[in-house]
Amino acid sequence: MAEIENPTTENSVPFYPVHVSNEAKVVLGISVVAIVIGLIGIFSPVGLGEPADAMNTPAHVKPEWYFLGLYQLLKYISKTAGAVLPILGVLVITFWPFIDRKPDTSSRSYRNRAVGVAIFMVILIAMTIWGEVS
Amino acid sequence: MKITSRLIVLLGFCMAILLILAWPGESQAGPAVPENPPASEMSTDWTQAKTIFSENLHQVLPSKFTAAALPPPEKDPCLHCHITGEEKGLWTPLVRWIMFGGAGLIFAFGIYRSSSVWVTREPWKPILSRTADWFDSRYEISDPLSKFLSKPVPNFARRWWYCLGGITAFLFVVQGLTGIMLAFYYQPTPEQAYTSIQFIETQVNFGSSIRMIHHWSANGMILMCTAHMIRVFIMGAYKKPREFNWVSGVLLMLLTLGFGLTGYLLPWDQRAFWATTVATEIGAAIPVIGDLVLVFARVGWDIAAETLTRFYALHILILPLVTVASMGAHFIMVRRQGIAKPL
Repeated sequence: MAEIENPTTENSVPFYPVHVSNEAKVVLGISVVAIVIGLIGIFSPVGLGEPADAMNTPAHVKPEWYFLGLYQLLKYISKTAGAVLPILGVLVITFWPFIDRKPDTSSRSYRNRAVGVAIFMVILIAMTIWGEVS
Repeated sequence: MKITSRLIVLLGFCMAILLILAWPGESQAGPAVPENPPASEMSTDWTQAKTIFSENLHQVLPSKFTAAALPPPEKDPCLHCHITGEEKGLWTPLVRWIMFGGAGLIFAFGIYRSSSVWVTREPWKPILSRTADWFDSRYEISDPLSKFLSKPVPNFARRWWYCLGGITAFLFVVQGLTGIMLAFYYQPTPEQAYTSIQFIETQVNFGSSIRMIHHWSANGMILMCTAHMIRVFIMGAYKKPREFNWVSGVLLMLLTLGFGLTGYLLPWDQRAFWATTVATEIGAAIPVIGDLVLVFARVGWDIAAETLTRFYALHILILPLVTVASMGAHFIMVRRQGIAKPL
């Protein structure tokens, strides 16, 4: 796990042409999806709201959906904590490899991390949905 | 012996060329092209140019475009004219040039190929591999390239969940292409931003499609980036020796969110304006440097024209450059260290 793997030939395929053609299929699939989305866009465009007006605040102001959970959190905890916590979180995530340095020995560590991610994602999605409906 | 046969080939070529040159040509029929006006009368008068053009148009275009008189179909006795399309005026000099010229090029290539095989006594190599050899003999690219291309990919790395990062990278390419297309028409000023997006949506050919793709591909990029991050985290692929790969990945995630933040303001409608207002207020809540962050992000206390141009510059110049550099580092590290083997 810790070492750089040098895969033997019977457990691997050459990068070209086998892997490249596989990746090309993925790219083709994504392109088809993008083109279908573009075709839908001809008939129902993304559209625009009212022009921006700094004097007129709308009733329900919301940020983009990926900041919605954070915004919802900010409503209920103090302003300082709400700004410091995400920064600390990002720092912890950034330097996580230097915190969790023990090499994996069993699939139990996979399961533990999966559970942790699941709890975090459930909280994040719940906050986002809460922010969307409130 | 070899020299004799080559001489025979050369003689044959010369005879063929002489024959073509000596072939009795067709006399010039049809209306003569009017002479160019003398230099004193030459001017850039557009109407005059148009007249000269339309007078000579029937020589290159089918007659249905130049409104030449055709005989009525029922009085026309020529059956093969119908079959070959002569009736419709399709058999113009341009079409003849394309057809016989194309056939001539194919014929010339065949002659070259046959004589080349005959002279060199070696099997014919396709033009593409010839070109590759030509460059390879000068720049020696095939050796490092084959090392790059023949790198083995382990079978465990061909499951679908190893695709998520690649999908994110491809969506970034899609974003780049559609973003360049949108940038042709977008105008980053408060007066023009909204109307230019309206123009893209209603007037530009496929403008609404391109904007739709850009919009949804941005959301897809954030989703795919998150999914890739979760995959790497659960499988512990960030551990030694791949720590900096994880760090560069987090940086790429933040850059993606930065793209989302800066791009959301650009339509300059109410939703964009107030979403950016509250999103930058999150930054203002930071204890000591909060106000500094707010003023730096908005270029002042309020969202104004300068905010829009700053977000635009970040969105189309700074963030793409930083992202491409980080992606390069990310990919080179993956390539160098290989893909982490799962337990």
